[in-house]
Amino acid sequence: MPSNGSNSAAAVWAILRKECRSEWRTRYGLNAALLFAVTTLTVVSFSVGRLGNRTDILAALLWIVLLFAALASLSHAFVREVEGHTLTLLRLVASPTSIALGKLLFNLLFLLVLEVVTVPLFLMLMGGPPLSWGPFLGLLALGSVALAASSTLVGAVISQTRGRGALFAGVSFPLLLPMLAAAVSGTRAQWQGDPVGAEVRILAAYTAAVLAVSLLLYDHLWED
Amino acid sequence: MIWRVLLLVWIAAAIVAGFAWAPLVPVLQETTRVFYFHFPSALVTVIALAWSMLHSVLYLARRDLRHDDHAAVAAELGLLFCIGAAVSGSMWAKAMWGAYWNWDPRETSIFFLLLIYGAYLALRTSVEGVERRARLSAIYSVAAFVTVPFLIFVVPRIYDSLHPDPLFNQRGKADIDPRIMLVAFAMVVGFTGLFAWLLSLRLRLARVERRRLEARTTGSDL
Amino acid sequence: MSVAIETAVRSPAALFEAVELRHRYGPARGLEPVSFTIAAPGVVAVTGPNGSGKSTLLRILAGLLRPSGGRASLAVSGVVVPPPGRRRHVGYVSPELAFYDEMSVAENLGFAAEARGLAAAGAAVREALERVALWGRAHDRASALSSGLRQRLRLAFALLHRPPVLLLDEPGSHLDDEGRALVTGIVGQHGSTGLVVMATNDEREWRLAEQRIELRGRGLGDSA
Repeated sequence: MPSNGSNSAAAVWAILRKECRSEWRTRYGLNAALLFAVTTLTVVSFSVGRLGNRTDILAALLWIVLLFAALASLSHAFVREVEGHTLTLLRLVASPTSIALGKLLFNLLFLLVLEVVTVPLFLMLMGGPPLSWGPFLGLLALGSVALAASSTLVGAVISQTRGRGALFAGVSFPLLLPMLAAAVSGTRAQWQGDPVGAEVRILAAYTAAVLAVSLLLYDHLWED
Repeated sequence: MIWRVLLLVWIAAAIVAGFAWAPLVPVLQETTRVFYFHFPSALVTVIALAWSMLHSVLYLARRDLRHDDHAAVAAELGLLFCIGAAVSGSMWAKAMWGAYWNWDPRETSIFFLLLIYGAYLALRTSVEGVERRARLSAIYSVAAFVTVPFLIFVVPRIYDSLHPDPLFNQRGKADIDPRIMLVAFAMVVGFTGLFAWLLSLRLRLARVERRRLEARTTGSDL
Repeated sequence: MSVAIETAVRSPAALFEAVELRHRYGPARGLEPVSFTIAAPGVVAVTGPNGSGKSTLLRILAGLLRPSGGRASLAVSGVVVPPPGRRRHVGYVSPELAFYDEMSVAENLGFAAEARGLAAAGAAVREALERVALWGRAHDRASALSSGLRQRLRLAFALLHRPPVLLLDEPGSHLDDEGRALVTGIVGQHGSTGLVVMATNDEREWRLAEQRIELRGRGLGDSA
């Protein structure tokens, strides 16, 4: 019988599971991303050493490492579909919004796994004052959602162009700049014991705005 | 034709007035003059961005390629004016504070606009297919439109401003010599006219290119 | 050309109407303006020289491609279905439809069934695979299939959600005699209650059709 209604939630969940399963079987993306993140971190630590109380540099470096890792790996989600020619199949079984949401959740999961490895390593190698755990994790979470949302949208766009990694980074960056600035500012503030309310609000609003506009735009993404 | 001549005369007159008639701002001395180039450039670049983004939305809504022409051409011109604003601002910063670039909020914003234009144009050159290019760049444009306002909130939090805001904000009212404002306003009008003129020229070119492409597609060929 | 529309309980009536439908894909290539009305039940063949736009037409009808000009609409049981929703009512087979190499045959179809929100996904998958005599290979990786078996998988994918319309682009390609017999059976069975549109240059296939839409190529001399 024909499928009933718009079963978007089922589609999103099915896509998320498929992504995880594919990633687990090939492990190409995660391996490369982890390697890249650790390499970047090593370069930074090796060149700069422990930073002690330089919270401004610490905050910036943390987010730079995360940003680089994201830019290097999050375009992967759509590029893989294009290279495997499976995009047609995907478009036939799910609406563009479901596809995008499924990929976004996967990218978020991917980022979280990346951060679980990278952030503790960063703190160990680079030093820094004690964390205000609540604000720190909150900023990390919000920043990650913002990164994932933006990267999913840009990834979907870039996958239809001739450009790849470099273009993805170049095109993502202007969109990410406000988020990066707020995250860095907030992370520095939490290390100095200052309130982070303003930055959290900006990050939350930014993320909401990107998600909202994405939902409107995804319907136009694939038309050929 | 007459309008273009008038426009050039207008701009020339404003430039002359800027050097010969309007006074100097005491703290800025001779560097005041840069204002007459820098400020209109920056304003026009914002206008160009708004125009481009507006037409991106219109393209997505109506799928008329003429909107895409507007979006693309306005972006190219916007980039030009943005470079003008950034360079003039940088020269001014060097003269005033000894450093070409400081990442104060205004400079950061201009740089950010430069990045957006650059990314938009880079994206356009990497897409094959006219409709696909129009659609993808319009999508990016709308996404950028959403993130731009956040910069206004975020950037001031990070750096103290070295920008001569005191021109306008000191004591909460504009206390500049009205002659300076007049010349500045005249230059804004002139630059906007220049933008409109260049836009119409480039649009005509884009239209001709598209018609030539369509003719090759629908006409018979051997 | 319109046929009396029967409303069957399982297979809602389907009707495609195209008005001056055309598409340009690069200089000197495109689908020339075409207009037609086709309705279920029935089998329609779309023929024409290479490059005349047969595959393009099918993609447009499937809702995967937005045409440069003109209009195509699908009505199911009298209700117009906009392009994004057509995927639910259409089973699409095309040479460029690819599957996920790292997943098995059954997993690929299972994913499709789940994403489409089909109730009893497992049963639907089994039924579709048995219909194309592929159930025995259900646990093989999709990458391990020969081109002929992959074509059968595409057919199974199209039948999975029991759509009222089948859009088949070169359905017999890569198939041996047994496979072709399958196609004939599927087309015959489906065409008795629903609509089948086949794009083909193979005479064996357009013999199955009652109606024909002939597309004219461009600039290569007159076609008959």
